Amino acid sequence: MSAPALRRGPRRLRELSVRVGWGVIAWVVGIAFFLPVLWMVITAFKPESAAETWPPKFIFTPTLSEFHLVFSGMGPFLTHSVVATVGSTILVLLLAIPAAYALSVYPVKHWRDGLFFFISTKMLPIVAAIGPLYVIALHLHLLDSIWLLIVLYTAMNLPLAIWMIRSFMLEVPSELLEAARLDGAGRIREIGGVILPIISPGLVSTALICVIFAWNELFLALNLTVTNAATMPMFLISSVPQEGLYIAHLSAAATVASVPVIIVGWIAQRSLVRGLSMGAIK
Amino acid sequence: MAVVEGVAAPAPKVRLRPRGVSRREQWQRRLPLLPALIYIIVVTQIPFVVTLWYSFQNYFFDIPGGAHFTGLSNYTTVFTNAAFRASLVRSVVMTASSVIVAMILGMAFALLLDRKFLGRGVVRTLIITPFLVMPAAAALVWAGPMLDPNFGLLNYLLTPFGVHHVAWLSTHALGSVIVVMIWQWTPFMTLIVLAGLQGQPADTLEAAKVDGAGALATFRELTLPHLRPYIELGILLGSIYLVNAFDAVRLMTNGGPGTATTNLPFYLYQQVNYAFDVGGAAAAGVVTVILTIIVATFALRMFARVFQFDEAAG
Amino acid sequence: MANVKYISASRVYAKDTPPAVDALDLDINDGEFMVLVGPSGSGKTTALRMLAGLEPLDGGRVEIGGRDVTFVPPKDRDIAMVFQNYALYPQKTVAENMGFALKMQRVPRADRDRRVREAARLLDLDDQLLDRKPKQLSGGQRQRVAMGRAIVREPQVFLMDEPLSNLDAKLRVQTRSQIAELQRRLGVTTVYVTHDQVEAMTMGNRVAVLTGGHLQQCATPRELYDNPVNQFVAGFIGSPAMNLQAVPLAEGGARLAGGMLPLPAAVRTAALKARLSELVIGIRPEHLHLTNGSPDADGPQQPRATDGSWELSGEVMLVEELGADALLHVRLADGGDPVVARAEGRKPPAPGQRVTFRVSPDDVFAFHPETGARLAG
Repeated sequence: MSAPALRRGPRRLRELSVRVGWGVIAWVVGIAFFLPVLWMVITAFKPESAAETWPPKFIFTPTLSEFHLVFSGMGPFLTHSVVATVGSTILVLLLAIPAAYALSVYPVKHWRDGLFFFISTKMLPIVAAIGPLYVIALHLHLLDSIWLLIVLYTAMNLPLAIWMIRSFMLEVPSELLEAARLDGAGRIREIGGVILPIISPGLVSTALICVIFAWNELFLALNLTVTNAATMPMFLISSVPQEGLYIAHLSAAATVASVPVIIVGWIAQRSLVRGLSMGAIK
Repeated sequence: MAVVEGVAAPAPKVRLRPRGVSRREQWQRRLPLLPALIYIIVVTQIPFVVTLWYSFQNYFFDIPGGAHFTGLSNYTTVFTNAAFRASLVRSVVMTASSVIVAMILGMAFALLLDRKFLGRGVVRTLIITPFLVMPAAAALVWAGPMLDPNFGLLNYLLTPFGVHHVAWLSTHALGSVIVVMIWQWTPFMTLIVLAGLQGQPADTLEAAKVDGAGALATFRELTLPHLRPYIELGILLGSIYLVNAFDAVRLMTNGGPGTATTNLPFYLYQQVNYAFDVGGAAAAGVVTVILTIIVATFALRMFARVFQFDEAAG
Repeated sequence: MANVKYISASRVYAKDTPPAVDALDLDINDGEFMVLVGPSGSGKTTALRMLAGLEPLDGGRVEIGGRDVTFVPPKDRDIAMVFQNYALYPQKTVAENMGFALKMQRVPRADRDRRVREAARLLDLDDQLLDRKPKQLSGGQRQRVAMGRAIVREPQVFLMDEPLSNLDAKLRVQTRSQIAELQRRLGVTTVYVTHDQVEAMTMGNRVAVLTGGHLQQCATPRELYDNPVNQFVAGFIGSPAMNLQAVPLAEGGARLAGGMLPLPAAVRTAALKARLSELVIGIRPEHLHLTNGSPDADGPQQPRATDGSWELSGEVMLVEELGADALLHVRLADGGDPVVARAEGRKPPAPGQRVTFRVSPDDVFAFHPETGARLAG
């Protein structure tokens, strides 16, 4: 009678230790993965002289001087990045919501082809067309213009956004849409009054992913802008001087450039997971 | 008594076919799709058409006089150009290795994060952060504070293992670039696989437990098949983005040393920005696009399988 | 108020597949409570959705109040529908949910509020519930809101698609009578879809039984039970189901359980006419009357006819106690599958015991073995 009762104690202990063991492994992995980001932030608070030492310094008097320097030159870049990111994300949503509706709720005849056409444009390497793109922009007087970036970032994010929003729309129970039809709601009303309120968490994750990709984009900005539309990644590159000590300055600039997206991403983690799994596959 | 089934159904009284959707209704359905469709065609397809045109032109930015027709000479150059072929191979190697390793790590991390332990939310936050870091920032931070031969953190951490001031970006350039790409995309894979793991119905796992399956058998027999579409989706999206990888190459090694890390995107970038060879770059771009289409055809099939389209036409 | 007419209404989902609803002809009277019942895939829901305008017709037409509505969009058909999962708008309050259709019709706000409140009172929905979101309601409350949304519209026809299937058993029985009572009070023509024949029998003025996209029979519950037109209706209506068995025909009757079951002359004539060598007979569980006095213990008891009725015996395999009565699963003398009999009284026989049943020939149904049609009796 007492044997099982006696055995229960050690077993629970073993289960607990296994659990703690996995926890420790997870923490080690997590910290190791985070280390480069942590090191970036630490270096950003160093004075330039303490940044390039051997062995690396872990204890030093933190200073904000590099941040001051970064902030002083960042203004226009930040503005361009915000305008390009916000502008393209809004445009993406405006275009993607009706398109996703047409591909899901009352689908057009060849909705599969439509869907695959959109995603296939993502597979065409934009780099292949960079020369002609430059020439086209030149002729349209759009070179070094924030409008050009908005237009291109919208095209860059539109396919993924359509796929994501479509998958969220498919989750709206069809009964609900039928009820709306019986109640006399037209198409606009159906989208605005019934569908959008339900999929708004999905829209947030879609917007978030568009923001991440637009904010971080370098290739197009580097090739097609100089000063009037140069974005934060360009600012980052410009913070690497040809000579002299620059590691602390670079780290401060990298921290400042990355922090907005990191913070937003941290806050909206769950939303990010939803968006990335495209809500659909079951 | 047996309930006798099989009441013969009478043949349909009229031969019918579905009436289908009226023409007007079809246009009403199409209408909301058109803005996005037209937009994407104009913005993404026109540049490729122009690319095709330039690929038959001799056009250098730095030579006045504009473009003129040269026939297939640009293509001849591309196909005889060893640098193009080498960068193509390098692109494949970089994309494949980083996607595969990132997926393996991502699965391992997802399995870790699927367990209950103290501070799970914090660890998840730590792990996803690299995906959120601006790629340009990641490249520069890795190239400088992390991998620098004289003061880099990595060399310091590896000192106990007998590593002394290795100039990673000179001696292991390709590997270093790939490591950074893996570091950035592992969180992405982790999140996708984690979404799959957490979408696994608890009752089937409990059923497996009752059926006497161990942890390993449960994973192999149930979890892995369940995760398959998520894994495929991760590989697909990861490949789409990583094949265009430019930031890490440009900012860590600038394609070097020599051409050791020059992948296709960087090669094309060089052709336009340093050689000013719009025509040559366009021809190389066309070849790239054709190769991509071949690969993408398979990828699209995979997409179709992943999403299965069970939802059918709503 | 209006009547509803299906006139050879058909729906085909895909080419070269059998129609989901095949040339349905059905007249529903003004103010009638009509129940469409059938197993899953019978076409009952499709038929309802055709009336709602959610499903197009591929043939025939549908009329409401004498008006052909085949091509009229749902919102202009003057109908209201209660959905299986209620289809409440999650972001709108209860009041907004109930008033949404009126808002779409541009009914003034004050008028709207009054009608919503009236409907809420009719359904015993508290005023404070009106400001809640559907998520904050219990299953039963949500069901009533869905009803309320239909009532508020004051439509010509109510359509209900299995509105009780998401409620627990007890609430379902309660709500069942409430809906039937409400419908009588409002007097609005109602078409109600269910797969539950008990619901169909208890609620409907008339019940239409469908299977495989075909209407089998449309009649009052009593008529369906007493006079099923075919084997499907006979087996579908009634719980526990009618005992059905294929039996060989013989001179003067049918062979069953080693004996001869006398058949009415009309049935024999019909069977002869159709040149049948066997037919399907059906006996309802409650028509197997236990005869008192235990049968002889020696050898298999031969069924025999005495004073017009007929007896058959077997061994009790299983007893299902229902409280007021019990269901006996009995293996007949010649083996085969057990029959189910309803035994009244508080002391049913025990398993293993031999029992004898008396059956009146009037209670025996006979069906064509291939078409399933009732052989006139």
